[in-house]
Amino acid sequence: MSKNGTVEQRYLPEISRKEMDELKNTVKIASQKIIADNIERMKRADPHRPEAMKYFDDIANLFGRRQQEIQAEKEKGKKVIGYMCLFAPTELILAADAIPVRVNSGWYDTSKLGDRVVPVEVCPVIRSTIGAKMIELSPFLEQSDALISVLTCDGMTKLSEILSDQQTIWGMNVPRIKDSTQSLRFWSDEIKHMKTQIESFTGNKITRKNLNEAITQSHRATKAFRRLQNLRRTNPVIMGRDAMLVNQAYTWDDTKRWTEKTELLCDELEKRAQQKDWVCSPDTPRVMITGTPMFWPDNWKLPTLVEEGNPQGIIVADEQCSGERILNDPIGVDEWSMDDMLNAISERYLMASTCPCFTSKNGNEDRINWLINKAKEWNVQGVVYYVVRGCMLYAMEYSRVKKALDKINVPVYYLDTEYTREDVGQLKTRVEAFMELLNARVDF
Amino acid sequence: MAGELIGNILILIVLAGLGAAGVISVIIWKKNRVARVTFLRFVIQAVGLAALFFLFSLEPSIPLLYVLIAWFAVMLFLGRFFCGWVCPFAFIMDIESVIRKALKIRYRLLPERLNTALHKGRYLILAVFLLLPIALWLIDPPPNTASAVMMARLLAGPFRPYSIIIDPLIPLVVPWTGQIVLGDINLSYPYISDIVTFIDTTPGQIFAVVFVVVTLIGAFLIRRVWCRFCPAGASIAAINKFKAFKGVPLLYIEKDEEKCTKCGVCKRVCPVQVPEVYEQKGGKIGTSQCMLCARCVEMCPYEDALKIKLANKPVFKSRNWLEPSINDE
Amino acid sequence: MDLGTQRVKAVVLKDDVVVGRGQMFAGFDPAKATEQAVNDALKAANLSLLDVNHFTATGSAMDLAPHANNTVSMMGADAKAGVFLIPQARTVIDIGAEEARAVKCDARGLMMEFVVNERCAAGAGAFIEAMARALEVKLDDMGLLALKAERASPINASCVIFGESDVVSLIHRQESKPEIARAVFDAMADRISSMIHRLGINPEVVLVGGVAKDPGFVASLNRKLDLAVQIPEYPEYAGALGAALIAATRAKGASK
Repeated sequence: MSKNGTVEQRYLPEISRKEMDELKNTVKIASQKIIADNIERMKRADPHRPEAMKYFDDIANLFGRRQQEIQAEKEKGKKVIGYMCLFAPTELILAADAIPVRVNSGWYDTSKLGDRVVPVEVCPVIRSTIGAKMIELSPFLEQSDALISVLTCDGMTKLSEILSDQQTIWGMNVPRIKDSTQSLRFWSDEIKHMKTQIESFTGNKITRKNLNEAITQSHRATKAFRRLQNLRRTNPVIMGRDAMLVNQAYTWDDTKRWTEKTELLCDELEKRAQQKDWVCSPDTPRVMITGTPMFWPDNWKLPTLVEEGNPQGIIVADEQCSGERILNDPIGVDEWSMDDMLNAISERYLMASTCPCFTSKNGNEDRINWLINKAKEWNVQGVVYYVVRGCMLYAMEYSRVKKALDKINVPVYYLDTEYTREDVGQLKTRVEAFMELLNARVDF
Repeated sequence: MAGELIGNILILIVLAGLGAAGVISVIIWKKNRVARVTFLRFVIQAVGLAALFFLFSLEPSIPLLYVLIAWFAVMLFLGRFFCGWVCPFAFIMDIESVIRKALKIRYRLLPERLNTALHKGRYLILAVFLLLPIALWLIDPPPNTASAVMMARLLAGPFRPYSIIIDPLIPLVVPWTGQIVLGDINLSYPYISDIVTFIDTTPGQIFAVVFVVVTLIGAFLIRRVWCRFCPAGASIAAINKFKAFKGVPLLYIEKDEEKCTKCGVCKRVCPVQVPEVYEQKGGKIGTSQCMLCARCVEMCPYEDALKIKLANKPVFKSRNWLEPSINDE
Repeated sequence: MDLGTQRVKAVVLKDDVVVGRGQMFAGFDPAKATEQAVNDALKAANLSLLDVNHFTATGSAMDLAPHANNTVSMMGADAKAGVFLIPQARTVIDIGAEEARAVKCDARGLMMEFVVNERCAAGAGAFIEAMARALEVKLDDMGLLALKAERASPINASCVIFGESDVVSLIHRQESKPEIARAVFDAMADRISSMIHRLGINPEVVLVGGVAKDPGFVASLNRKLDLAVQIPEYPEYAGALGAALIAATRAKGASK
């Protein structure tokens, strides 16, 4: 795989360096503006935003501090291993002293570029990632020395093929039936294989001690993460968007530092909760978002609409692989032997996942259970089922989710959209009508 | 007597051990919430061992009988709690596991099918243990009345319901009461006295050696290996199988379907590989394979997803074991 | 005030009785048009701006509304108006120029659930308009024309443009005008009914919005839904009426 064109590109079109740079600059400038704008709006929504959010605002600039840090580490000889789906065992990457980063793209502009390679019917997350690759926009995608691509949905499967034009891709087969013994056996073989692959690529052996440390590290992160989510159970102390940004920042930030900063944020929020210092009126409808992942920075329109709408809502929970699914499940290690740690890792990544690409004896029941549990425990008043066009798996699961949530009397609104900014007006009407509906339910 | 001397030393060791265990458990209880239950279990097992030791080394016949009848009654209500928390034999197996963990040797699993086969086949093993005396009687009728009476007393042993639970443990707890010598080695080991008493020397000894190897070495590699065969456990389980006793087990594990994300931790950490906790959708976990050791409840990372209930009141719930209130120091 | 995508409507309500209505093409300056519509409505009611206690705006341009004290979503307004006009109504369908909505509501006129057609005009009034253009008939005549047809030729209603090309191909196949007109309505009713089925049909079903005035469409929709859809008087004012009703309750709430 080379970038200088000695290898024929099977999918990606040939773009001249000049055109590429021009496009990259335009999109990059636009994107930086959007990042600044999103943060500005988040600041406006919560006039005395937690101090600790400053760090996350800083790290949220994808083209800023974190990019340079990774670059510096890379120069010191560290490897960067990117991944697309959450199934990539980041603990193994950490244990091999490499840097894990998630490389899914949330840029609207690049999805239009992706149209040159794949038809518009394809999920915009995929198209946008392809577009980002075409103009080498995404800092983390470009910095990745290798990519772990887990073949979850159809889009991801072919995306890995398309990206392999320019990058080293390690595919991981994921079994579609989640709860059978043979699936688990298959998946743990994949994990073990990934371990040897990471070891030979980075040249660092994953020892028992290293892995133990990595897992403990991720336990700490999960602890901080759960603490933050638990703070959102009561009257709102943090805007949903802020929390979502914190959650998502984990996928590119340094794990240790992220944990520290999140704990700091939680300390601050706990104080606020004690002082009964709520970010918005406790009557504000509490909303949960589920569905297609929403990636920073561009794809932030739905949370913005919910929290800036009139009437306003507040996002208290989500069920998205760009949100609370990132760190919700700890790795349940029984005995700290290499074998058991690997088993625990494979179970954590396969069985605890609620991705709709799975099915099991009872269908994707785990997801339903998650939603019901969250709805009850977080006092969710309404669920926004967010789907981007082309995301078949989420779209198809809607009927079941709706029925299940109807049973516990939580209204769901199905909202489908695209990677564009043009439909914000229409979405606004719908989101606001839904908030009004929730308000009306609160009143009676 | 050498036996008594050993006994006294043992008492001292047990007492000292109990004291140390108490101190350690308090420290660990404070520090490490994740492993609390495991340590609590060790403490209870040690206490159980001590209690049984004093019971057995006292006048054995009368008080023991009453105590054992009381035990039997408790067992009816608690199910296999005894297996998970008190049984001294299980204690030995748990200690073996601790040693194995310290040596960083990984455990092996019994194949799932064999495990389920054993789950059902335990009753056969129980039947063999119960029928063995009759078979021996039939094969080799005792020559005279005196020996017939002796034989009858021996035979009656396994039929006493408590006896099959507790009797085999006596040589384990009080080594000199059931001194079994194989070659030159004193093997005070559960069931061996039964085996060697009932079966004549050579086959009995082979059987006994096999037994020791299976349980001692087996338990080192496979967690709680004997519990999957154990006729005592099967007898407790069998009692709870009767319809009239369906509602009796006061102690049981309950699962909250909605809070479970099916991460599979419960299935993996279970020392006897019970699949039901994982597979069952929710509600009361109904399997006599489960020993109520609460390892799954302890390791379940979702708050309230699993709980142990005593008479419909939760005694112990699964926690978010990463809960923020713990300090790392 | 209902600031729709094509027309703006205003309704003046006095003691829960409609006393004045006014409408205007939105054009480029919906605010100005609304001003005009409000004035018309007030003139009809013999009132002046100062007599109005409370203004509530709805519609896609509600944020631009002049005088507005506050706003309400179209779905909320529809539900309110639907139940006000026909008290048994539990499902309100509102088909405007560029959007179709279906709202499930309760006896108090509170919305329980709603669906909106997918960002495309094919399920809305603009579709009929475009088709009328293709058939070279007047918009008002479309419905009457369709009623004459015995059968319908199937066309695609996934998109206005594709629908139009389908109509053209039907014309080339020399199908009669009434049949094509009916086909247009059937296709549209098909989309609307599948939308309502997603919501679940709760009788009585009320149809409001400009399209409700079209008998051809109503006939098609009745056929598709297999029930008689109720149509109130002045269906196109429903949004504005709902807003007015909400304004009335809000005014009462404020004066208390």
